[in-house]
Amino acid sequence: MQPYQEEYLANLREVTALSAWRGREGLSFDAYAARLRENEARVEQLARRDMELLRGQFFPLLDNLFAADGAALEDLEEFAARLLGRPEELDAGLFCQIRQALLSMARQNRDRAGAIRELYWLGMGRHSRVSKLVGLELPLVEKFVVQMRLCFTEAAAYLKYYDELEDAETRGYILRSRANIALGPFKSPGEKIRLVKQTLQILQDKGYQEKAPELPWDRYIYMTHQHMASSISYRKDTAMSAEDMANIMESVYIVNQRQVREAEARGERTPMRWIFPYHAIEYYCGMHSLEQLLAEMEKLLDAVDPMDFSADGTYGMGSLLAFYCQYLQRYPEYLPERVGYLEGLYRRVMAYVDAFPREQEEQKLFWHLRQLAYTFVETGSGLSYGDFVEKIMLRFAPEAYIHAQTVGEAARVLCDLIMEDEPSFFDDIDFLRAVRDPEEKRRAVLEFAMGCGVFHDTGKIDVIELFSRTSRQWFEEEYEMARLHTAAGEVLLSQRPSTSRYAAAALGHHAWYDGAHGYPRAYHRLACPYRQMVDVVALVDWLENVTHSARLYTGEEMAFDEAVQAAIGLEGKQFSPLLTARLRDSRVADRISRALAEGRQLAYRRMYEDAGGNMDTNG
Amino acid sequence: MEQKERNGGGVGHLVIERDQIGQLRVLFADQGACALTGLSREALLAAEPGQAIQGMETVRRELDSGHELWVLGACGRRQAAELAQANAALEDALKAAEAANQAKSQFLSNMSHDIRTPMNAIVGMTAIGLSHIDEKARVQDCLRKIKTASAHLMSLVNNVLDMSRIDSGRMTLNEEPFSLADLIHDIAVIVRPQAAAKGQSLQLEIGEICEENLIGDTLRLRQILVNIIGNAVKYTQPGGAVKARFSQRPAPERAGGDAVWLDFSCEDNGIGMSPAFLERIFIPFERVESAAISKIEGTGLGMAIVKRLVDSMGGQIRVESEEGAGSRFYVELPIPVQPQGGREPALPVGQTVLVAESLDGRARQITDYLREGGLKPVCMAAGLDAVTWLTEAQYEDRMPCALLLGQELTDMQVLDVAAHVRQLAGKGFPILLVSEVDWAQIEYRAARAGVNAFVPCPLFRSRLWETLSQLTEGACQDEDAQEVDFSGSRVLLAEDNELNQEIAVELLGMTGVQVEVAGDGGQAVRMFEAAPEGYYDLIFMDIQMPVMDGYEATRRIRGMHRGDAGSVWIVAMTANAFVEDIRLSREAGMNEHVSKPVDMDRLLEILRTRLNPAKS
Repeated sequence: MQPYQEEYLANLREVTALSAWRGREGLSFDAYAARLRENEARVEQLARRDMELLRGQFFPLLDNLFAADGAALEDLEEFAARLLGRPEELDAGLFCQIRQALLSMARQNRDRAGAIRELYWLGMGRHSRVSKLVGLELPLVEKFVVQMRLCFTEAAAYLKYYDELEDAETRGYILRSRANIALGPFKSPGEKIRLVKQTLQILQDKGYQEKAPELPWDRYIYMTHQHMASSISYRKDTAMSAEDMANIMESVYIVNQRQVREAEARGERTPMRWIFPYHAIEYYCGMHSLEQLLAEMEKLLDAVDPMDFSADGTYGMGSLLAFYCQYLQRYPEYLPERVGYLEGLYRRVMAYVDAFPREQEEQKLFWHLRQLAYTFVETGSGLSYGDFVEKIMLRFAPEAYIHAQTVGEAARVLCDLIMEDEPSFFDDIDFLRAVRDPEEKRRAVLEFAMGCGVFHDTGKIDVIELFSRTSRQWFEEEYEMARLHTAAGEVLLSQRPSTSRYAAAALGHHAWYDGAHGYPRAYHRLACPYRQMVDVVALVDWLENVTHSARLYTGEEMAFDEAVQAAIGLEGKQFSPLLTARLRDSRVADRISRALAEGRQLAYRRMYEDAGGNMDTNG
Repeated sequence: MEQKERNGGGVGHLVIERDQIGQLRVLFADQGACALTGLSREALLAAEPGQAIQGMETVRRELDSGHELWVLGACGRRQAAELAQANAALEDALKAAEAANQAKSQFLSNMSHDIRTPMNAIVGMTAIGLSHIDEKARVQDCLRKIKTASAHLMSLVNNVLDMSRIDSGRMTLNEEPFSLADLIHDIAVIVRPQAAAKGQSLQLEIGEICEENLIGDTLRLRQILVNIIGNAVKYTQPGGAVKARFSQRPAPERAGGDAVWLDFSCEDNGIGMSPAFLERIFIPFERVESAAISKIEGTGLGMAIVKRLVDSMGGQIRVESEEGAGSRFYVELPIPVQPQGGREPALPVGQTVLVAESLDGRARQITDYLREGGLKPVCMAAGLDAVTWLTEAQYEDRMPCALLLGQELTDMQVLDVAAHVRQLAGKGFPILLVSEVDWAQIEYRAARAGVNAFVPCPLFRSRLWETLSQLTEGACQDEDAQEVDFSGSRVLLAEDNELNQEIAVELLGMTGVQVEVAGDGGQAVRMFEAAPEGYYDLIFMDIQMPVMDGYEATRRIRGMHRGDAGSVWIVAMTANAFVEDIRLSREAGMNEHVSKPVDMDRLLEILRTRLNPAKS
């Protein structure tokens, strides 16, 4: 690899490590906060350096890719492989840029094997990003899923010429592409199952195997069975035909048996992630009732060792609990008798998060908890959804957590100033108008402002890789993906009683006041009863982003005073003139500036407390 | 009796009074009655009436509850009958006059309500807007509502004027050549948004069409058709369905040339009409009265105007309707055909066209038209199948002459397929979109996805053939031959890398475009400055160049004081694909952005969009 490529990778690793740093014992709070600031400064420094490397050396290489020599292309291939290698997935976005460029070149040069290879890898790069969009509805993510699927489809179309192709490697890419067409969500499970079944038939065809005996056929077939086994959907009543069910049953059985054998050989117990589908398919086939399935799941959940931080333990704590909640969410009549049990599981998972060794693969745990974020069921007396979201943001997405807390604090301060002048400012909001006592109303407004700020970016849970562990600006496609966080946040918050009133802020905080620009289209300001508060969050969020949080990703960077002037310039367009009018008063602007700094400090303190460090405000 | 005979054919009149116990007495007798009965007036007044007229022909008419008029004499019956007839006619006339008066009163009442409603909106929204003048979004919302209300008010006034013009015989029909496809597409543009706003399914279907080039008054034809479809939309609940169908059949020969019958039907599942209303539908000022449509506004003149227009064109209109179930309108219009002329579009006969469409009816129509043109359609309902088929076709060197993307696919959006196929199939491969969406709304996205042309729905064979012909001419005969001739156009290429220059010049040169190369931004600025105004049609600007980068060069060009400084189309070419780069290029004054390594299809796409070909 080229030195700049090595440096870029090293920088990415350092950024990942800095992002994962949560403070150590023995540090006072002030020392801890200073360290966080140092880390942030270092991340910024690394990001600037990475941008220099990309602009100075990487882009010129793509500019002149047709003139690049073989060694440069080999280096580029290796660089790409390291960006999306295992176990590290360092930069899927840059990986896709490289693969797209190499694919264009292969097409231009009519290099068929090269095009097949690059299609496969481009599909894998896109899959890496799609797989992070866990719980979003298909219409929101369809574009990204289709882009991935089209790459695999084109590569797989060469299966027809399998016999004519000389090298086994290209044949392998074709077969793997064929199998990967079924990755990601489909409009109906039947579609996915049909594709996986066809792939299995191809892979089990001796004719194909004999032409390329060196390929790992057994592994291909087994992985395809795993894929089929994971096709189980909770939508038992509508989704799958009897034939679909039979296909899944067969794969579940094969995978389960193999896992049992392999676990016995290792002297371990069978992984839970392959026991659960076995029970689930029995339920889907009508062999067991939901009551029985839930009982089986409870046995598995009870068997999870709270100190087991292996992949299987993490699965049991996160994904299995998420599936359990999914059934309770779908069939709430089963919840009342399980409230106490579920609350116990929530306490246990929170303790598990605290106890999880920080040097371990936290991202795997986060992936499982992200599933739980979509199926979480509030009991009314136990852990609230808001507390759960705050906890996982704090632990796994500290940048987003700090930003959200800071916005919350600044929104609270701005609302306080507004309430001094105009106590009825938020009276469009029913529950605030209903509060008669002025002091009580003020408190309610400030509390609501803080909540809207804290939860406005909840949807980032789905696209967190773009906000954390990224050390460069976004590409256009990534920007498009990052925009999903508004709709995603709305979905997550609106479905739970404790957070539903914050959903509007999540949905609307990037929409423009005049509706001319911004996103998403689903937000209609004038139809939203919470619009005055959404306006507040939108303004404060933007100020915080351009002066701090998002400047790395979007390249929009301003000092606070510049940002205030820019916001005033966008008065009546992007921002509510009722709010920007207040910014003209320098005392108000100063107060917000201070609130942003104080909010950040407050967020640091909460992180410090969460990290279990010693409080020492004297240092 | 003698006296009776003496009087001959005379007529006499008695007014008879009935008292409370039913006794009759003569209250009045005229000369005729005296003559016929042979009694004096005094004697008649004292006589018992029944006896006095015994044996005489008498017609009795009740005047009120206590009085009757007796008409005596042989011709009295006839006269009474004539009188009754005249009275009945007068009563009918009175009723008609009253009904007309009532309808006009109702119209005035409706009009004042209908005028007041939008006026109220205009006045009210103006007041709200003024009171929130600092809230731009609120003011915009008010202005939008004022605009809608004003447009409605204008249509009210226009309808009243139209009706007046027709009734006074001042309206004449124009006879001008027109295209039926244009007419129907115009109608679609008007009515589709109305149906979409109510979440209705609006199907515009084309049946057998013999002649597309016709002669008639398009303004009035459009008025008839839009009125009927618009009414169907208006009187159909949200989420309902409206289906309009157009077809033709030959009309008997007429003096001066051929004609066709244009058959139009429009069916909805809306609120329907009662039999009583159905009888009055074409009477001016009548509107369906229903609680379900209390918010629907109109003058009640639309259908009356339609009827008069259809009549004046020599056509017929009829309606069937069932209350609560929906209505069906049928219109037949004889329309003259334009004399034959022009040439049939040259289609690549015998070649394959890949059609990707999952809507059965649409797919069938497209494939039928293609077959009629001598082409071989292959139809796919899924995007993945289409991509697989094309990949195989490319490998086997049997690429179709075009991809025709329809409205829907089973597994993905059509534009996602277009974007991938553009990459897969390479330059010059024609991709057409056949869709009922408004092209203006998707043009930008479709062009970026690689779509070359758009054929609107409802689909006309002529449109499909013409577009396909334009796109495939040359491209299918020799893929590498120059597809379009841009020899009249000039492009400035600012690029420092020699190999990139060479590739771009060669590929751009294949289109005939004249390429002039600048090795850096400074040189590009000098060349533009030295050239006469309008000399360059397009500038491809690399970003990272020595001496002066592309941003600065663009800023300088845009800052020049000459007519084309602001208008010349400048395209950024760079591998720098960060959102900031794209923003910076826009801020510097560039119009669009292509990423490197440069995809030649994309460059050609830009040429096609921005330059005028010397020949098609």
